[in-house]
Amino acid sequence: MPLDTSTYGLALLRVDGRRWNELRRIYAQIRTQAAADGSSYLEMGHTKVMCVVTGPSEPGPRRGAGISSAGGAGGGGGGAGGQSKDAEVVVNIVIAGFSSVDRKRRGRSDKRTLEMQSTLANTLAATLHTHLFPHSQITISLHVLSQDGSLLAALINAATLACVDAGIPMTDYVTACTAGSTSTYAANDEGADPLLDLNHQEEQELPGLTVATLGESDRVVALVCESRVQISRLEGMLAVGVDGCKQVREILDQVIKAQGQKMILEGTVDKGTGLNDMDLD
Amino acid sequence: MPREAEPSLNERQFVLQALQDSIRLDGRELDQYRPLELTFGDQYGVADVTLGKTRVLAKASAELTVPYADRPLDGIFNIATELSPMTSPAFEVNRPTETEVLISRLLEKTVRRSGALDTESLCLVAGQKCWSIRVDVHVLSHDGNLIDAACFAVVAALRHFRKPDTSMEGGVLTVYTPAEREPVPLSWLHSPFCVTWSFFGEEGDIALLDATWMEEQVRSGSCTISLNKHGEICQIAKLGGVPVEAVSLLQCTNVALIKAKDMSSKLDKWLAEDAKRRDKGGLLAELSAENDRVPDI
Repeated sequence: MPLDTSTYGLALLRVDGRRWNELRRIYAQIRTQAAADGSSYLEMGHTKVMCVVTGPSEPGPRRGAGISSAGGAGGGGGGAGGQSKDAEVVVNIVIAGFSSVDRKRRGRSDKRTLEMQSTLANTLAATLHTHLFPHSQITISLHVLSQDGSLLAALINAATLACVDAGIPMTDYVTACTAGSTSTYAANDEGADPLLDLNHQEEQELPGLTVATLGESDRVVALVCESRVQISRLEGMLAVGVDGCKQVREILDQVIKAQGQKMILEGTVDKGTGLNDMDLD
Repeated sequence: MPREAEPSLNERQFVLQALQDSIRLDGRELDQYRPLELTFGDQYGVADVTLGKTRVLAKASAELTVPYADRPLDGIFNIATELSPMTSPAFEVNRPTETEVLISRLLEKTVRRSGALDTESLCLVAGQKCWSIRVDVHVLSHDGNLIDAACFAVVAALRHFRKPDTSMEGGVLTVYTPAEREPVPLSWLHSPFCVTWSFFGEEGDIALLDATWMEEQVRSGSCTISLNKHGEICQIAKLGGVPVEAVSLLQCTNVALIKAKDMSSKLDKWLAEDAKRRDKGGLLAELSAENDRVPDI
C-alpha cells in the first residue's frame, strides 16, 4: 500500500499523527529476566524487542552462525575465540515469525540478519571496555517480537540497556534512532522536511537512515542508509538523527535511574556513597 | 579453519605512527587511490579490475527462466560473490565468512536495490519468460579495499554485457544468435560506485581512502559510501567501529562524490575505447573475403 504523503504539506502531520521531530513512544524495562546476567525489553512504537546478555564468560565452543567482533578492532571481526586479548562480542538475533504482517520464515543464515548481527557486535565493541576481559566472550541474544520500522535502532538501544544491566563497563550509552526525508529520491524539491523515527510504512516509501551515537556527543558509531537519496538531504537527516539519539539517551537514562532507585528502596543493593543527593522519595 | 596472520605489534605501531604524521607506507596521499585498471575480456560482460595488488574479476551472464511467482513482471538479477581459498587461506569454499557476507550485502544494496539495472526490461512474457542476469564476482588477489574494486568490476561487467536480442511475433518468442542479430546492451539506469573510508586512532580522526590489506588490519573503523555521478547516495554503511564526528562523515561523503565522478568518467572512457576496438564495421566486414595478410615484398 503506497504511503499517502499528500496531506503532509497541509497539516505537517505524518500518517500516525506525529510532527516531523517527534519520536514514537519509547517504553523500556531492564532486569526482566531474573536468571540472566543482564536483560532488557524495549518498545519503540510498535517495534518490540527483548535482549539477554550473558557474560563476560568463558567462551563456549565456536558455532558457525554467530557473528562476532574481536573487541576494539572493529574492522576485523571474526576474532579467535578465547585467544584474543579482548573480550569477544557475539550477537544472535532471532526474528520471530509472527513479528511482521506477512509471516515470513527467515533462516539463520539470512544475510540481512547476519549483517545486523555484525553491525551490533561492532557497535557495542566500540563502547564496551572489552580489554578488561581477555579470553572471554560476551553473548548478546536479541529477540524481535514485533516489527514496525526502525528495527536496527531498537536492537541497539535494547542491547545497550541490557549491557548496562549486566554491569559490563562501558564508555557511555550507545543510542540509535532513524531519520528520513519527505522527498523521494527523484524529486529535487527544496521544501522537503527531515523526519525523525520512521515507522514501517514510512521506511518502505521514503529515504531514511539509521544513526547510532555515543553518549551525548555528536560522534557517530553506526550509520546505515539503505535507500537512494540526494546527497544534499544527508546533512538534514543526519542532524535530525543525531538529535533524536540524544532524546533517546535521556529516555534510556531515566529508565536505568528509575530501576536503580527501585533497587535501593527494595534493599536489593546498598545505597552507594555518591548517591546521597539522589532523590529517593 | 586457518586464520589470517595478524600483523605484529611492531608493524601495527609503525603503520599507525606513520599515519599520525599523514604518511602512508606506499607514499600515497590520504585521499589517493592506487592505480585503477580495467581490462575487458574477449567475451561481452567480463571485467577484470586491478587496484594496486587487489584484483577482482566479474562476469555477467544471462539465461532464460521463469520469473518469480510474486514478481511476474520483473526479470531476475543476482550478484554472487566468491572469496576462494586462492585469495587467502582464511576463506573456505561453501562457508561464507563475515567479510564475504558483508561484501555481497553491500554490492546487493549498491547495485540491485538502488535500481541500477531496470529489471522490468528483462521480462519477456509476463509470468512466463524472463532473463535472469547473474554476475559472478571472483576475488583473485586480496590487498585491501575489496569492496570498491568489486563494485567497480560489477558495474563495468554489467555495462559491458550484451544479451541476445529477442523478438515477439504472434505469441512466438524468438531468441537470436549473435550471428543473426547483434546482441543488445542491458537497460542501465545509473552507475553507482563504492568509496570506502578507513578510520584510524582512538578518536577516529585520521581518515583515508583505498586502504591496503595492512591498513585494513590495523584500522579501527570503516565507512562505505555508494554514490553515482548525479550526487545520489545509494547506500551508506558504517557498521559500528570507532565513533566519528558527524561533521567529518559529511565531509567524507563530499569527497566520496568527487571520487565516484572520477571513477564514472574513467569507466565511460574505457567502455568507449573497448566499443571502438570491437567495432569492425558490423556483419559486412566480418563476411569480407579479404584477409589481413600483408603481402611479402
